[in-house]
Amino acid sequence: MIISLNWLKKYTDIVLPVEELAERIGARLVEIESVTSLAEKYQGVVVVKVVECSDVPDSDHLSLTKIDDGGLVKDVERDAAGLVQVVCGAPNVRAGMMAAWLPPTSTVPETFGSAEPFVLGARELRGHMSNGMLASAKELDLFDDHSGIVEIDKEATPGTSFARLYELDDYLFDIENKSLTHRPDAFGVIGFAREVAAIQGLDFKTPDWLQQVAHADLAEGSVEAPKVLIDDPTLSDRFAVVVLTGANEAALSPLEMQTYLSRSGIRPISAVVDVTNYLMLLTGQPLHAYDYDAFLKVSGGVNEIHVRSARDGETLTLLDGRVLTLDGSDMVIAAGDVPVGLAGAMGGAETEVTAATTRILLECGTFDLFTLRAIQMKHGVFTEAITRLTKGVPAQVGIPTLAEAIRLMGDYAGATQASAVSEAYPGQHDNVTVSVSVAQANAILGTNHSETDMITTLSRVELSAVAEAGTITVTAPYWRHDLAISEDIIEEIGRLNGFDEITPTLPLRDFTAVRPSRFDDVRRILRDGLVRAGANEVLTYSFVHGDLMKKAGQDPVDAYRIVNSISPELQYYRQSLTPSLLNIIHANAKAGSEHFAVFELNKFHNKRHELTEEGVPREFDSLAFVVARRKKVQGAAFYEAKQYLEYLAGRLGIQLDYAPLEGDSTYPVTQPFEPLRSARVSSNGQQLGVIGEYRRSVAKGFKLPEYVAGFEIAPRVLQALADAQPAGYVPLSRYPGVERDICFKADDAVSYQSLYDATAAAAAQSGVDVRVAPLDFYQPEDKLTKNITLRISFVAQDRTLRGDEVNEFMNSISKAVTAETKGTVV
Amino acid sequence: MTHDIEAIRRELLGRIEVSDTPRDVLRAAELRDAYSSLGSLAAEERGAFGKSLNELKNALEAAIEAREASLEDADVEAIDVTAPWDVNSTRPALLPTSAGSKHPLTTELEVVVDIFTRMGFEAIESRQIDDDFHMFGALNFPENHPARDGYDTFRTEEGFIPPAHTSTMQHRILKDGKAALEAGGHIAAISYGRVFRNEDVDATHEHTFYQVEGVYVSKTASLAEMLGTLRSFFEAYYGQALKIKTQPAYFPFVEPGLEFAIEKPASIGGKPGEWLEMLGCGMIHPNVLKEAGIDPTQYSGFAWGGGVERLVMLKYAIEDLRYFESGNLKFLRKFA
Repeated sequence: MIISLNWLKKYTDIVLPVEELAERIGARLVEIESVTSLAEKYQGVVVVKVVECSDVPDSDHLSLTKIDDGGLVKDVERDAAGLVQVVCGAPNVRAGMMAAWLPPTSTVPETFGSAEPFVLGARELRGHMSNGMLASAKELDLFDDHSGIVEIDKEATPGTSFARLYELDDYLFDIENKSLTHRPDAFGVIGFAREVAAIQGLDFKTPDWLQQVAHADLAEGSVEAPKVLIDDPTLSDRFAVVVLTGANEAALSPLEMQTYLSRSGIRPISAVVDVTNYLMLLTGQPLHAYDYDAFLKVSGGVNEIHVRSARDGETLTLLDGRVLTLDGSDMVIAAGDVPVGLAGAMGGAETEVTAATTRILLECGTFDLFTLRAIQMKHGVFTEAITRLTKGVPAQVGIPTLAEAIRLMGDYAGATQASAVSEAYPGQHDNVTVSVSVAQANAILGTNHSETDMITTLSRVELSAVAEAGTITVTAPYWRHDLAISEDIIEEIGRLNGFDEITPTLPLRDFTAVRPSRFDDVRRILRDGLVRAGANEVLTYSFVHGDLMKKAGQDPVDAYRIVNSISPELQYYRQSLTPSLLNIIHANAKAGSEHFAVFELNKFHNKRHELTEEGVPREFDSLAFVVARRKKVQGAAFYEAKQYLEYLAGRLGIQLDYAPLEGDSTYPVTQPFEPLRSARVSSNGQQLGVIGEYRRSVAKGFKLPEYVAGFEIAPRVLQALADAQPAGYVPLSRYPGVERDICFKADDAVSYQSLYDATAAAAAQSGVDVRVAPLDFYQPEDKLTKNITLRISFVAQDRTLRGDEVNEFMNSISKAVTAETKGTVV
Repeated sequence: MTHDIEAIRRELLGRIEVSDTPRDVLRAAELRDAYSSLGSLAAEERGAFGKSLNELKNALEAAIEAREASLEDADVEAIDVTAPWDVNSTRPALLPTSAGSKHPLTTELEVVVDIFTRMGFEAIESRQIDDDFHMFGALNFPENHPARDGYDTFRTEEGFIPPAHTSTMQHRILKDGKAALEAGGHIAAISYGRVFRNEDVDATHEHTFYQVEGVYVSKTASLAEMLGTLRSFFEAYYGQALKIKTQPAYFPFVEPGLEFAIEKPASIGGKPGEWLEMLGCGMIHPNVLKEAGIDPTQYSGFAWGGGVERLVMLKYAIEDLRYFESGNLKFLRKFA
């Protein structure tokens, strides 16, 4: 919305410089996106009188004029009488008229501020010197009319500044509408002016005509106005019409009104239409004019106007030429039974006011804003009218606006009221009354305003405020339906006095300490651990393509689907994080990363689980990790991923168990993993997740390099395990320990773990502290057997171990292990 | 002659199941015959028959893809998953620490959470899928209210909502804190996390981003305290004294509602008079307190919410929002 400062000035004094005013409006009313000055653009334009006007010979359209600028402009060629010669091509130029002159060295306003501003000079046209030019509305950048030059329609002496005469020495504020969603009153210049007065600390008085909410009717009109019927009272609080006759459709509104419309972004059309738009800008109440005879023709002579829901399949041709097929969610204005307008949004083509119109049916109404909003979205109508009506225009503003329209149409278009005002008003509401205690207001704001200060503040925006025993009772004028509870009044007090005037303080609170959540701690440990281990944390979208899931072996049927997604890429909630990570491996490898590891800590969701007690889907925290090398190296990638997982487990003091991922697991998390080269990870019998290499089909789908592996585990389980860990500590022995290596040869089918467990169990029999660690794994080419070398450390708390003692231990260990694993000691 | 499509389907699916080259089945004579008979059918039969042929073809395609995938995955050599490293190999080394990097968004989020925690605010992670009640209903957004438009929410088939603001946790925070509040304490919490809006992505817009929401309720919470708390946070965050300013704003869940701006700190290249809009805030609307069972005549509170990306972008002068969720290592390693 554009607000003109000069238009505001017609209703309130402006005591602040414009920059300060803009800042104050921003701080106390609404965000201003930009402030544009018009003064410079129009500074050179001079009002002149065309004294002489004759045709230029050899030209079919040029006229040679002598103009009187009151001798104002310097350095311009003049004749003996002091007149300036200008050649003009406009058909409407004539001697005696007053016009707008752009003298030499001035810039054509239309080109002002553009890349190539056009600066006028004195030049010869058909052998005649032309000094500057007489300007059209288009050249003056007022509105798009180039059919002739602008004719001055106000009393003025030659040499007057055009800008001053038409109040174009103006500033335009571009207002961010969004913050005024709840303030229909501020969508009119008068309402905006009221606020501007108050935030400057000035009183305001709404013009009398806008307060005349009761209509003074003609006792008897020559025409009977259509009967107004609101078929469903929830659709409209109030709807009123009146018939006017004798309107001259060709009449134009005064130039000043035209310029105010165009400043506000509305194109002037004719006096009748301009008046409706002008009043909408002024009061916030949209008006609509129908050709009354066309209306009666459409209605088949039925003199009724209805506000009703559309019927399925009804069609309506709008003013902009669009043909809509309507349904029950639409709301129409109907002539008799026939729709002639989409209520509040746009009129219909059939009853449009044209040059042939003699009788006008003028409408003002308010409509249910939720219905309007649905219509606005459905049909993409974003007119100035619907923008205002969707804010909830109050029912009472219509009648004074209609009365003012009748007056102005009389003045500018020769129209006279021919009927009484006919209306339906099912939605009468009393003016709002709200109370607030002075103490409460000060407590909420953190201020120290006196009762009198509060009353003064409120009365500046014409809220009638009365104090009794520390409580202020506010009766709002009809235009303030946004005020409903005491907090609304508190906001008014804070806002109008300036929230920035409030001194910031800090809450007083006790010394209770807040600890970060343990889960945040654990995540930080995991994150920092992986970063220290050279991995890169990534964040990827929570939404994925169905194809991405399929590539990872997951079934999109289990995923929550977004019905209004931006693109198929973002259609589903992911069911695990691994596919998102696999999705970035190829691009990074291709971009030159030879060897890298990525991880993400985030959430996934799927439909395989019941909803929570709150009735919302369960959320699963997850940690996914992938390590990749562009070129294969000795050893399976699985074991590199395992190093990372073991490193993390070590940081949390957790021992992990690995079991082959066998069988047809249907968990989305395990789907991408190759069962023969992956493991279920658990600890203390609690399932943690999965680690492994990916299925070949998955690797192919994601174009993975040959060497890739990773894991996906549940950090909440890790946290539980870590929390359950005793703070174990075994004192250091004062005696030296002994290390022995032992190599077992076993069948390939014997797992490392079984051999290790057997060894550890046998070693524990020694009765001293033992530690078993892997040293080497060898497998001959036939892959039938493997050699596993372990290092066993012995240390006693009470003595130095003797060699023969340790030999004894080792003998028992080899016996026990070879028996259990059917292997041999090498 | 019409063909028994069902019989052909069974036969061909059976062949795909055992074939090493399943795609060849698409060239089977049965299929070819069925297709060529299409031309000889009466016009009224042709449509239905053509449709079932099409369905057959799709079913075969799916079966072929599944078979190809399982062939692809056949002959995989098993490994000993219990071993710490592979046979005939050595223990794999971890990458050098210098290659590692933390995501700048989580780094910053940790800083923010840390400051608020030390200011006495409990930190709660926000949900990534929620319902209309928590996202709107409990926050004084009536059905169909125009203010809902500003949030451009996604929805799932079931009507769940990927939250468009971390305020989706506010009702839960208030309900959980009610007992402590009524025992003479206060509610002080932040919720942080991922939020989603139906927006096209460009250098300055993302459909996925991070927010931090704060809630404070006590017997005496005031707008002055809100301004003090927020200023105090930003002063701690930027390590310098800051000027603040506000602007009235409309959010249904606060009254009054404000936009909060700070003067751009010198540490990130700010000059006096340059302002940064940081967040929306306000006094919690009595309806929101009531909805959580808190008596608005006894208690008052304030709440705020702002984005995290903006803090990071300002701090490092990052020009393009799209890097954050790109998984691009060249970008991420700049934060090593």
